Amino acid sequence: MSTYITDELRSWIGREATYTAPEELGQASIRYFAMALGDDNPVFSDAAFARSTRHGGVIAPPTLICETNQIFQNPPDANGYIGHDWSLPLPSNRFMRGGNEYEFHQPVRADDRITVRWRLLDIYERETSRAGVLIFVVSEARYTNQKGELLAVNRETNIHQP
Amino acid sequence: MTAPRPRWFEDVTVGETLPPLEFDVTLTSLVMYAGATWDFHRYHYDPEFVAELGMPAPFMDGQMVGALMARQLMQWGGADAFVRKLNYRQRGMVYAGDRIVLRGTVSNKSEDQERALVSCALTVTKTDGTEIVRDATAAIELGRRP
Repeated sequence: MSTYITDELRSWIGREATYTAPEELGQASIRYFAMALGDDNPVFSDAAFARSTRHGGVIAPPTLICETNQIFQNPPDANGYIGHDWSLPLPSNRFMRGGNEYEFHQPVRADDRITVRWRLLDIYERETSRAGVLIFVVSEARYTNQKGELLAVNRETNIHQP
Repeated sequence: MTAPRPRWFEDVTVGETLPPLEFDVTLTSLVMYAGATWDFHRYHYDPEFVAELGMPAPFMDGQMVGALMARQLMQWGGADAFVRKLNYRQRGMVYAGDRIVLRGTVSNKSEDQERALVSCALTVTKTDGTEIVRDATAAIELGRRP
């Protein structure tokens, strides 16, 4: 089987990229995200109610910080994307999402200013019966706040079709 | 607005099911989610662009299904709940015009001094039965009866 995993591609394993949001997450971003999901859970929007819960105040929906590109300050690329991208030297940029593994360490608050540290964990290829050879790129993002507290970890796999 | 009461760990039974969550994926909901996540990629709103890629319609970001699973878990778990883990493998694309159904079953309970955790096995399918995720599991922390 021919390999797409060249020494150059392999040299990307272990690379890191760190971004810090230019401002606090903000209550409006939390409410916007919940609204987009049709989520009326008051723990995300009602300060008085949220104070009465174990959380002691409004929290963000768990996956919000793993999803939002609010953290980034990149200009939009030709397709409008502003988020993190490794820009790997792959034969094509056709890819689909392979899956996610999230760990949530503590609830995120509106006044958290988020830093994310991406790390490229692995690149490997696999022969599949459905689609031939596919290239799997596994990355990990660790999210912390301005106090250095770990908020969440997101391990995700993207599957590239050469 | 539904003000969820805490669901106490002691009241949960292994094998019980979470209320199913049905969600209509429309171009409007894709645009709302794209805006809310600052994701301005044309994948999510530009029918001509995605047609050039061979797709039938703008499509949902794979992580939006995770966000919906978290919505379902947090609603079920009540006011004191907090999702600790969520894992899934992506199996199918979801396009504007699809309706998806999220289901969950309690698979395990465990507790120590620090926290009380309930594990769930989750599925997401289109209404025609197409599988969207596989091996979806979650661990949610619940409050303990005072």
